[in-house]
Amino acid sequence: MSSSASTSQPVQSTSAAVEHTKDDDVPHLGVLEEDDEFEEFAVADWDDSQTDLAHLGGTAPGAAKSGGDKLWEDNWDDDDIEDDFSVQLRSELAKKKGNGGGPESMQH
Amino acid sequence: MSSQKFSVYLTQLAEALRDEKGPELAYLLKPTSEHGKALVKDFRGNISRHSLSYYEGSLESPWDEIAIQYVLVVNSCARKRAVEAFKEECTLVSLFLRFFANNTGWTLPALFSILRDLRDLAFDVTASHGQEGTANMEEAARIISKAFSHCVIDRQSPIQESRRWGVYYVVGLILKCYFKVKRISLSKNILRAIDANPDIPPLSQYPRSHQVTYRYYIGMLSFLNEDFAKAEQELTLAFYNCHIDAHSNQERILTYLIPLRMFRGHLPSRELLQRFPVLEDLYTPFITAIRTGDIRSYDATLDRFERRLVDLNLWLTLDRARELCIRGLFRRVWIAAEKSTRVPVSMFHAALSIAIEDVPEEEAECLVANMIYKGFMRGYISHEKQMVVLAKTEPFPRLADRPAPFALLQ
Repeated sequence: MSSSASTSQPVQSTSAAVEHTKDDDVPHLGVLEEDDEFEEFAVADWDDSQTDLAHLGGTAPGAAKSGGDKLWEDNWDDDDIEDDFSVQLRSELAKKKGNGGGPESMQH
Repeated sequence: MSSQKFSVYLTQLAEALRDEKGPELAYLLKPTSEHGKALVKDFRGNISRHSLSYYEGSLESPWDEIAIQYVLVVNSCARKRAVEAFKEECTLVSLFLRFFANNTGWTLPALFSILRDLRDLAFDVTASHGQEGTANMEEAARIISKAFSHCVIDRQSPIQESRRWGVYYVVGLILKCYFKVKRISLSKNILRAIDANPDIPPLSQYPRSHQVTYRYYIGMLSFLNEDFAKAEQELTLAFYNCHIDAHSNQERILTYLIPLRMFRGHLPSRELLQRFPVLEDLYTPFITAIRTGDIRSYDATLDRFERRLVDLNLWLTLDRARELCIRGLFRRVWIAAEKSTRVPVSMFHAALSIAIEDVPEEEAECLVANMIYKGFMRGYISHEKQMVVLAKTEPFPRLADRPAPFALLQ
């Protein structure tokens, strides 16, 4: 077990909630499938330390990782994805180049 | 007829009123509490408005009537007569409002409590009586709106003790009623009334529970009215001000916030999703597909979740987010072409054909044009040469850098 941030993850309850209903192979959406109901809060007021504002390190809500909020990623474009699709795509490109290149030669 | 317990109850009410103890008053008026059940028992089945009229005048008006009314509510609840219980509670609230209108903010805890009970009793009717229940829920909203007016018009009380501190909680309850019976268009009047009253203190000065509930419903209303920029803003504030232990509320907020943030190029981190396994299940396939431009998998996920997404009013939004996935696919074409500034339309066509199925070449050209128009790609198409000429710098701007990400969704 890593001793880092994982302490904040309720692993036990997580695995229980993930259980799927197998009838139609659609994940169960838990509370979201019940009525459209926002619950009453148990207490009326609380301070920043009991909210996710604590993640922001002082920045305003609405930013992403590059703006100081680690809950949202904004730099996720990946130039190095390797899968069947990239292989097929490159071979398609090579084919076109092999044919002499240039848009004119692509007319069938 | 008389009841020893009821006499005690009257004394307790009188004390709470004399000492201005709001929470105590709230407790004494709860229909589900033990003392209420004990009261009903003590009357040994002899409970009617007529028999209880014996107690009129035993407290300063309207509290004698409220006390009697309370017994009638508890009695109906005990006998599981949902419609009757709701009607009796309506009367109780109306009586209470007469008192409320002439008193300061110390009464708010009691107001909140009886309005919540009113709404819950209306909900019980909805659950058991279908259509008739809808009418009752609207009636509840109407009565709660009266309470709202009594909060707003408080001009006498010193600001610290103003009834105005009840405004946002009460509005939250009204919106909850309308959402429950899917009559959200009725919300307009109450929201207009808030805008029309500059004397209401700023939302940020209210308790966080009031702020978060209000912002959630405003965010949802904006979302349903397709004002996505406002929805994103309100739901973001709702999420960050929500208590972290109110897990299902946070989950509910994120259900709508995540797709909205996706349009802004803000994808939820693993850390965030791991806290909400239900959302992790729902959104991870979409997010992975957007990251890798995997349209086939995106479409399959959209199909697989269709029914649930329709129920949650999310299907259309995620269908629109498919554009983010196409952007990812086209970006991969550019990478495969070694980031050349000139990529033949036929390459985009080939990519689409591999990714989905054989599409006409014109359609590929049309999709590229659309991507350029919406700011996902920078460049132009030479139709004559069937060539896409891309900008030298950032031909695929980061999604997070796109100005007005919600502008072209309609």
